[in-house]
Amino acid sequence: MVLSLILLVLPPAPRDTVAGLVRGNLVGPLAMMQQRASLARRSFLTNDSIAQLSDSILQRSQQLDELTAENDRLRDLLGLGRALRWGFIPAEALVGRGMGDDFTFVLSAGERAGVEPFSAVVAADGLVGMVTQVDPTTSIAITWPHPDFRVSATSEAGDAFGIVSAHQGEGAERYLLELHGVPYRATLDSGTAIVSSGLGGVFPRGVLIGSVVSEIGESTGWSRSYLVRPAVRPTDVTQVMILLPERNAEGVESVWRATTEAMAQRVQEAGDSLYQAARDSAARVAAREQFVRDSLLRDSLSRAIRDSIARAAAARIPRARPEPRVTTPPAVRDTTPTPDSTPVPRTKTSASSAGVTVPGSATVPDPGTSADSAPPRETPFPASQLGPQ
Amino acid sequence: MNARSASVTIVFLALVALHFTLRPILDWRAGIDFMVVALLVLAVRVRPGTAAAAGFAMGVVSDVMTPEALGAGALALTIVGFGASRLKSAFFADNFGVNAVFVFVGKCAADVIFLLAEQRLHGSALLAQLLVWTPVAAALTSLVGLAVLSLVRPTLERRRR
Repeated sequence: MVLSLILLVLPPAPRDTVAGLVRGNLVGPLAMMQQRASLARRSFLTNDSIAQLSDSILQRSQQLDELTAENDRLRDLLGLGRALRWGFIPAEALVGRGMGDDFTFVLSAGERAGVEPFSAVVAADGLVGMVTQVDPTTSIAITWPHPDFRVSATSEAGDAFGIVSAHQGEGAERYLLELHGVPYRATLDSGTAIVSSGLGGVFPRGVLIGSVVSEIGESTGWSRSYLVRPAVRPTDVTQVMILLPERNAEGVESVWRATTEAMAQRVQEAGDSLYQAARDSAARVAAREQFVRDSLLRDSLSRAIRDSIARAAAARIPRARPEPRVTTPPAVRDTTPTPDSTPVPRTKTSASSAGVTVPGSATVPDPGTSADSAPPRETPFPASQLGPQ
Repeated sequence: MNARSASVTIVFLALVALHFTLRPILDWRAGIDFMVVALLVLAVRVRPGTAAAAGFAMGVVSDVMTPEALGAGALALTIVGFGASRLKSAFFADNFGVNAVFVFVGKCAADVIFLLAEQRLHGSALLAQLLVWTPVAAALTSLVGLAVLSLVRPTLERRRR
């Protein structure tokens, strides 16, 4: 009891010290048990919320791809809206809720929004269809696979005109287009962009329709027909623009042309950057080779000058002992005498192992191995008698 | 250590372990005090001095988890252990009702001493704790004490014979 009272009246600092000592040594296992029990309770209590959280995360992750695709479509549409600037009505296309036809859809904008019959329906990628019926709040449009769909078209360069309609094929070919009535003299290569010509008053000039796949036959000998891959797939369309008649009169030629030019510019820039990178790389390699060649040349020249000066000095001064005979192998430049002045001709194999062989020249000793890293050799004459080198 | 002492030790350690495992899991405001039950099980079978020492040790162990009340729990359990050991003739008699009342009183006494020595609660909060939550906790503790006694007494009595 006295000890208890002492513990009670202890100041905070010693009390914490005592508690820490007891807790860290004697009560450690009990404290660990209590901690784990608390964690178990917390885990049990948060189990339901964690399960709900994981379910919601799973659901959101499943929607992520769809949201990403929708975001891309909206960004494209936003870019198209900026390019068009005026004269359009944005609408949402409710595919599959039309009049029982696979080639129509309901648009979320109607007469109250200013939509009129025979208005062009476009998307960020190109032509989608045409409005046929207008209600106060909604409207119905046909898409290009519809059998009644027609649009006057031309090549992007404007050198060939014709009428584009749905290709009445089977299976996947049903979702291609045909370009009819192209003059016989006008031939279109595969990949040529086809745009609306603006003739007829429904579609403005310059709306991208698709690109030529191949020629499908000469109908009567005076015209050609081409199979066209559409720029827009109706099943992918969810947001569209309805062009107003006054915008048709203005034309939208610059809208998709700007897109095409930007794509071409990006391709060209990518090619230029690759070419520039390759050119820089080749220049760097050439500079490095030139530097190595120059350094080898400088080293061999300085060594040859030093050797010739040494030989000339040796010829002028009387010798106290026999002149060391220096033999120079034909392909070896390093003729520095050995410390005991005994001529030791180097073999080509040993010289080549310590030097660098330059094509078209003799083997040059590597200064890093023969001059720098090797111990200093004793010269047969004082340095003062050698003269300036 | 004979068999009876071993049985008492096992029951005592099991109750202490329950105090640090089951009590945090339940986390009731009026929690079951397994330490009081363990102390009473031990106190009626040892001398008052030993019971007081055991109460002090148990109080220190429970106090170090809340260092600001260091000594309060030790004082409370020391007094309860000493008193229970002195009253061993009345405690843990064959009558379950008497045992229940004694555990209830022991828990209440331990709480009152603890709260007064701790001096953390004042005024209405202290009164609410003493008049509401302490009796509820004491009632739960007495129920658990009765359950423990009904489980372990046959073993302890057989060992005693």
